[in-house]
Amino acid sequence: MKANPKDVLTGVHYIDGDVASGYGILAAGCKFVAGYPITPSTETAETFARVAPKGNAMFIQMEDELASISAVIGASFAGVKSMTITSGPGYSLMMDAIGFGAMLESPFVLLNIQRGGPSTGAPTKTGQADMMQSRWGSHGDYEIIAISPDSPQELFDYTIKAFNLAEMYRCPVMIMSDECVGHMTEKVVIPPAEEIELEPRRLYDGPPSEYLPFKPDDDFIPKMAKAGAGYNLYISGHVHDERGYPVINEKFKSVYLRRLVDKIRRNKEKIIELKEEYTDDAEVIVVSYGISSRVAVRGIEKARKKGIKIGNLRLVTVWPFPDEKIINLAKTTKAFVVPEINHGQIAFEVERCCHGKANVVLVPHSGAGVHNPDDIYDAIVLAAKEKKKIEGIVEYKTKLEKLVFEGDYKLKE
Amino acid sequence: MSLIITAFAQGIEKSGIKPAEVCVPSDIPFEPDVVKQLGIDYFHTIRGRAIVFGTGLKLANLALKVVPVVGDLMTLGGNHFVHASRRNMELLVICVNNFIYKKIGGKSIPSTSPVFSLYSTFEEPFNIPHLGNSCGAIYTARWTALHTDEIAISIAEALNKRGLSVIEILAPGPDYYTGINNINSDLVKFYHENSEIKNNEDPRNVGITPEENIVVGKFTDKERPTFIDVYNAQLSKVIGDKFTPYGPVQTSRSGAGLGTGQNESGGKNG
Repeated sequence: MKANPKDVLTGVHYIDGDVASGYGILAAGCKFVAGYPITPSTETAETFARVAPKGNAMFIQMEDELASISAVIGASFAGVKSMTITSGPGYSLMMDAIGFGAMLESPFVLLNIQRGGPSTGAPTKTGQADMMQSRWGSHGDYEIIAISPDSPQELFDYTIKAFNLAEMYRCPVMIMSDECVGHMTEKVVIPPAEEIELEPRRLYDGPPSEYLPFKPDDDFIPKMAKAGAGYNLYISGHVHDERGYPVINEKFKSVYLRRLVDKIRRNKEKIIELKEEYTDDAEVIVVSYGISSRVAVRGIEKARKKGIKIGNLRLVTVWPFPDEKIINLAKTTKAFVVPEINHGQIAFEVERCCHGKANVVLVPHSGAGVHNPDDIYDAIVLAAKEKKKIEGIVEYKTKLEKLVFEGDYKLKE
Repeated sequence: MSLIITAFAQGIEKSGIKPAEVCVPSDIPFEPDVVKQLGIDYFHTIRGRAIVFGTGLKLANLALKVVPVVGDLMTLGGNHFVHASRRNMELLVICVNNFIYKKIGGKSIPSTSPVFSLYSTFEEPFNIPHLGNSCGAIYTARWTALHTDEIAISIAEALNKRGLSVIEILAPGPDYYTGINNINSDLVKFYHENSEIKNNEDPRNVGITPEENIVVGKFTDKERPTFIDVYNAQLSKVIGDKFTPYGPVQTSRSGAGLGTGQNESGGKNG
């Protein structure tokens, strides 16, 4: 199915990532956005609110994030593509309903323009510290898809892709961007509508009396029906059977939960998108995502000029995590360098997949700014020189930390 | 609860609305058999979010009749109720007030009247019809579970009104709490016997107190533009001809509804 020309602002634009994502939402065929304003994601909501009435779509500013995400799940069951937009504190408030959405296998998209945390943190500044929360934030076992774009163009492109993945796998999809990418202004090329491929809702078309809302197809994904169309839906956050009726026992918990995680895990190869350069014979590989992958480029180029065999692995899809990729690369490379704007989240995933076969150097950053590319370069040099296998993660001490701290924690005068 | 469900079914029948168009988001678990018999769509949502889940359903397909059935309306969902009333969102909120959290051992709730708990609660309970009315709800009523005919009439009336309606139903919790509360009769009868019908009473005067009879009846029945009315009017004014009002779409089995361009058609605007 192609995008509707009325929803696509074809042409070359010079806009920031937040706005690009707003245009992407409309182009993706999304007709319902509920949100509560929060810096630095507000511009996306503003953009969509501006274009929605002309595209016969609805934007509603709800009373809080709890309301926003529940309304989004409701709209999803009414049969429209729906989405919410938020950042740090709002994201935390949404966690209860994210698990609910995963349990109900509700397709919807959530854009998190990450800011500095914890708590109110640094609202106007960048951060990448919600990555683990996006995977494990709601209680219980579930799998999620999370994408991390690194440019305004990608925020447009991957907003559309997020909707496609949500429909394909009937699950919530997170776009885990950050303030830097959200507020970065660059050229964004919006293609003609006929070049934008959209995944339609997979609707059940058999007799209503035989409809089982949670009966999976061969690919583990059940077909949906719209509310109010005579399917006598029973949709519950309880563990349920294929009819949707609550069945709370060990057997059904196992049957249901297994499928809930397997529908993502067994389709990993189809879901995961990575961008790779020179990883085949690299001695050191930089693993990064979002804004950190843009910053890392300079460190990587500098290292390459110095003759270090350096590879670059960019995680476009962060969840599900590309375990197999890292496992295989760990067999041939000496070390991974992981710059991220937190004190170690994805670096630990990389280390988990290395099984001790390669060293892992974390280049941390506390947020409210991005890495100094020289730190990434220095970490690469350090990793390339190291001859021993080091157990656990090596935390690289950045120039900023050396500047601020004397010894470990004592502030310099 | 069975009394209420029966009244609910009668109310839908009286209203002339097809049960298939009725969607019930609720934080009270309904028995699957009940949902099957009623022929409605049912969503067991997370605690307190039935009204906002319903808001999403309604706005995505204006042809739906959305009836959030909530237990303890005034805690987790309290703010949502206030805002839905203010917006005059087209929802019929049915609040089943049994004064206690039945499933977790009879804890008191914010609408518990002082008489109904072990050491008596010392907090002022919410007056739900008054709250709804003052926030902008267009229809408020209160009945006990034994007023089945009245409930059915209220539901039928409210389903055909445009805007936010709220019907509070006083229903008994399990009998074993009557002992704690020193009530020597069947609770459902107790409510009924101690209630007094006062239709059109000022909602400010219908708070439930231990000293007085419980006032039941229809308190509010007025008209006010709905969220969608105001939305369409305002956007038409600002955007002009380029704006197509966001309006109801027919429902059909293949599904319709706003924003539903079906898969095959390649986008609703196409």
